[in-house]
Amino acid sequence: MMEKPAAREQKQQLQFVGKSLGRVDSLDKVLGKPIYTTDTVPENALYLKVVKSTVANARIKKIDLSKARNYPGVVIVVSADDIPGINESTALLPDKPLFATDRVRFAGEPIAAVASYDPTIAEEATDLAEIEYEPLPAVFTPIEAMQPGAPLVHENGNVCKNMKVRKGNTEAGFKEADLIVEGTYKTPFQEPVPLEPEAGFVIPEPDGSVTCVGSIQSPFHVQTGIAKILSLKPEQVRVIQAATGGAFGPKSDETPVDVLGMAALVAVKTRKPAALSYTREESMIGHTKRHPFVISLKTGVKKDGTLTAWEARLVSDTGAYASLGPLVLIRACLHATGPYNIPNVKTDAYCVYTNNTMAGSFRGFGGPQVHFAAESQMDEIAKKLGMDPVDLRKKNMLRPGALTATSQLVDEGCGLEECIKRAVKESDWYKKREQFHADNGTKRRGLGIAIMYHGNSLGPEGNDFATVHMQIERDGKIKLRTALTEYGTGAPSALLQIAADTMHVPFDHFILEPPDTDFCNDSGPTVASRTITIGGRATQMVAGKLGQKLKEVAADMLQLPLSDIESNNGVYHDKSDAHSVTFRDVVAHAYSRGIALKESGTFTAPRCEYDPETSQGSFYLQYTYGAVTAEVEVDTETGRVRVLKMVAAYDVGKAINPLSLEGQIEGGTVQGLGYALMEEMIHKDGIVVNPNLGDYYVPTSLDIPEIKTIIVEYPGALGPFGAKAVGEPPIVLPAAAIVNAIDNAIGVRVNEIPATPERVLSGLRNQRK
Amino acid sequence: MSKHLLKFTVNGKDHALVVNSHDRLIDVLRNELGLKGTKEGCSTGDCGICAVLMDGKLVNSCLIFAIQARNRKITTIEGIGTAEEPHPIQRAFMKWNASQCGYCIPAMILAAKDLLDKNPNPTMEDIKHATSGIICRCTGYLKIFEAINTAAIEMKAESK
Amino acid sequence: MHRFDMFVPEDLEDLLKYVDSHQSGVHVIANGTDLINRIQRKQVTPKVLADISGLNELSYVRKEGDKLKIGALTTISELISSPIITKHYDVFREVAAKFGGPSIINMATVGGNICSASSSEDLLPVLLVLNAEVRLRSLRGERTTTVEEFLKGKRATALKHNEILVETIFRELEPASTCSFDKVGMRNSLIIAFVNSAVYLKLAKAGRLVEDIRVAFNRVNGKIPQRARHTEEKLRGMKLSEESVAETVRALKHELKLTSDFRVSEEYRVDVASALFKRMLNRCSEKLVGERGIV
Repeated sequence: MMEKPAAREQKQQLQFVGKSLGRVDSLDKVLGKPIYTTDTVPENALYLKVVKSTVANARIKKIDLSKARNYPGVVIVVSADDIPGINESTALLPDKPLFATDRVRFAGEPIAAVASYDPTIAEEATDLAEIEYEPLPAVFTPIEAMQPGAPLVHENGNVCKNMKVRKGNTEAGFKEADLIVEGTYKTPFQEPVPLEPEAGFVIPEPDGSVTCVGSIQSPFHVQTGIAKILSLKPEQVRVIQAATGGAFGPKSDETPVDVLGMAALVAVKTRKPAALSYTREESMIGHTKRHPFVISLKTGVKKDGTLTAWEARLVSDTGAYASLGPLVLIRACLHATGPYNIPNVKTDAYCVYTNNTMAGSFRGFGGPQVHFAAESQMDEIAKKLGMDPVDLRKKNMLRPGALTATSQLVDEGCGLEECIKRAVKESDWYKKREQFHADNGTKRRGLGIAIMYHGNSLGPEGNDFATVHMQIERDGKIKLRTALTEYGTGAPSALLQIAADTMHVPFDHFILEPPDTDFCNDSGPTVASRTITIGGRATQMVAGKLGQKLKEVAADMLQLPLSDIESNNGVYHDKSDAHSVTFRDVVAHAYSRGIALKESGTFTAPRCEYDPETSQGSFYLQYTYGAVTAEVEVDTETGRVRVLKMVAAYDVGKAINPLSLEGQIEGGTVQGLGYALMEEMIHKDGIVVNPNLGDYYVPTSLDIPEIKTIIVEYPGALGPFGAKAVGEPPIVLPAAAIVNAIDNAIGVRVNEIPATPERVLSGLRNQRK
Repeated sequence: MSKHLLKFTVNGKDHALVVNSHDRLIDVLRNELGLKGTKEGCSTGDCGICAVLMDGKLVNSCLIFAIQARNRKITTIEGIGTAEEPHPIQRAFMKWNASQCGYCIPAMILAAKDLLDKNPNPTMEDIKHATSGIICRCTGYLKIFEAINTAAIEMKAESK
Repeated sequence: MHRFDMFVPEDLEDLLKYVDSHQSGVHVIANGTDLINRIQRKQVTPKVLADISGLNELSYVRKEGDKLKIGALTTISELISSPIITKHYDVFREVAAKFGGPSIINMATVGGNICSASSSEDLLPVLLVLNAEVRLRSLRGERTTTVEEFLKGKRATALKHNEILVETIFRELEPASTCSFDKVGMRNSLIIAFVNSAVYLKLAKAGRLVEDIRVAFNRVNGKIPQRARHTEEKLRGMKLSEESVAETVRALKHELKLTSDFRVSEEYRVDVASALFKRMLNRCSEKLVGERGIV
């Protein structure tokens, strides 16, 4: 099957991989260079403003845009009637139009767009669009939506995907149990809040093609979408990713196609550049958010803590359109037990339409929801058994040789035990829990733990491949280009470190080129933390080929057989080190001989084999593991929770750039803290009540705890040097760890996050009764 | 009046521009003067990434009308350091890989400058308060704090 | 952004003349911390904004006799860095610490806070317990009224269309008295308070007698900051003790007529108001008599 990384990279001495080198994109960013989409809109561009639905579920009886069209200064108003191709803007299922025509399904759905050279005029004109609605009965919770007779959001029924896991026999498993524990857990819409709202502009080219520049995660997904809308061939749609101010998921779903699609229609019709940038409010309402889940668990356990059976029922709210709801459901379904070795598992999962705004991709992708439930449940079990939560976890956790919930064998690349051990040590678990037990004032402290696993890359979600192109210029600069995008992760910069060590050429020779569909091939979406795992393998392949070519040129120059040539730090020499040529010499020689120093290559991950009926088999090629502790202080008079310290231990396989890795872990941990305590996008009858950053709370610099990051390395089978996915895992556990810590502090189990001060105080009030 | 003559100084350079009453300072900086480093994240004053220095004080440029900046001295990120000679704060941010997506970074750097100009010996608490009005969604803030701390140490050493 | 004209006065007289000659539709703006949001949400559609930000003569902190006088354009950060705002007036620093970061306190003005008249203006409960007054000037003269009377309701003040709020005045704090402020929201910065509270306490060391007490919350009975006067009456003249405070808290819970909204419920607001009230009393009494945790 897969060659283990140790075997692949055995003899390699690493000079750049594993070092905390400076990111190549930092200089431009600290100087405030104009590299983001709205910084580079052409001078003569038209600006769009969108006419959006004000009701959650309705038939549209009439769309009258004449007054808007006649408003002085308006150049054009576009709607579905202006679409030459297919009226569709979707990430997965063909269920969502670009512009609504006869039906709207969520409040905020685009219906038309007004364009003017003056954005103020465009905005004023949107008020003049006359839309006549016939409101329909609507449904706002998935549980309601699943009932027979519920209003239909889409004709084919409100459940857009269901999935199950069947391992062993849970009925038998419950019979073996000494104790059965049940619990129901709820999670909210979490809004990703990339600091840069969606933005894009389109330039119509003389040859009938279009050039799209935008704040996006997946250039080729956008290319396909725009081509469909404009009825062009994909090659006629050039997509360039501008520097992107944060993404976290939604910018790989619908909104980039929405924004660029609307702009493209205007550009093509007026033959002028057209730009659209969402306000924060439009961004929050229009793009995808984390799926709310209702998770019911029934778990059987023996007196000694051995889990015998685990049943989970997951229901997710995907909003008015599916987006990547079905794929989020898959990941949630497969991980619903948490990282434990359980002989009998039964999971049923449902992804359900409602008339709320859309849920789709957001860092973690189902992992945070199911781990919140599973890890809360584990603590409840521990409490009822009178067992330490760490001991219960150690008893059941996945180790090499164990089977996951899908009966996948866990290999030696499993550092979960070390993560737990080191987190326990660093958090001073036993001593502090005892110490906190004695707290008796109005402020009570607690310490909680949660552990996780995260199947890497796309797994069963689709074809997992990446393409890298490399070229050496005459001046010796080595350019790497890929369609995998940088939006804050630092992963593309890390690819250069991998290339440097593969080619034995110093890191400062490398330049990262921006993703541009005219100059690179598809690498799939930049999601699922794939850049280093899949992109890194492609980089190794291509850099390896290019490095080999350089060696061949050096061999020719030195008149020696290729097998005698060694390369090290930009120097090519014979084994005795008597004769050598430099990298620059080799490049010059190649150019003089007309030898092209250019390579491309695609790495495709092997497909996994599994039974789609029972979800048994291998779903992911490697797993990231983690353990997080949270130390909290609860103010029992106000319910406010202060997180004092968190320890975040992750088995990352191999840290390509430890400093950047820490930055990812810290950032994800703080997003997870927000999810735990303060973030909740609230809908009332489908209308978002808090679509702004004053009423939707993300953590500020005064809200963050001390965070100690622990990097554990058990190389995985898939990634370069055994590197594992690290972009997403850090957001998965903080909610569970914090909620468990709250329970430890005050004996209140918060089953619904965020654990707002009100929910905590309410729990205390109920306790006192 | 719906249009005004705005005279002010930006990054040491004097300007005289005609602006609309409803133009905000951020609109004029970005669109009239082409200084794109100042970012707009929320339009409601809740994220702080539009921050600039006005007469040496940190303010949110999305909450000030352009004409209200008349006769003032504005410093934007473009007035801090260059590619050849980055400011010590910028060097520190690069050293710590403190910039991830980069969108909050201009405001964070200006907030750091605002702090260090007034308090060359900040504690971690001071640094946290100085950045408390600016949202960062990528980094979790910790590397930004380290960068500002390092910048303080280096700037003190340089001034000796 | 809605379009409007901007009037830029040369001095205060110029501004007074302008607002005198215009009936309505003129909004005075110091900076946009409050008004820009409301314009963008179309909650207000002014025809003209009058920019007061250049009138430096309205930016000052003075002590005249036993009164402290603060010009309307004084920002929160100017206020707390004034040498006149000594440690005795640390209550203003308590407000600033939870206000929202350096840029917000550099922009928010004392006058602006008062004229915004909403429960999210943190200075208001403090000014209410200081029995602060506002001086209003027009072309035709001037008048002074208490902040309490000035605030009529949510976003409604007693300001006439031709008046400008120029100054806030309060009597200096006597040595045996102090003020404190606190607020509870969802996070530690950029907070819209669920509840905020200011307390003024004058305590005799001997016998811990509450010689005077004033307490205000961001909401008491309506949508603007108010004094909780029945609660004050309960504790005034009593000895500060667990029993007297417990009884006062009972009165407070009775006096508060709060509402639930998408942020928090009425029940939670009442619970937190009670907790904050006790904390303010403890903080104040600790400042005055050096004893901790009396209640």
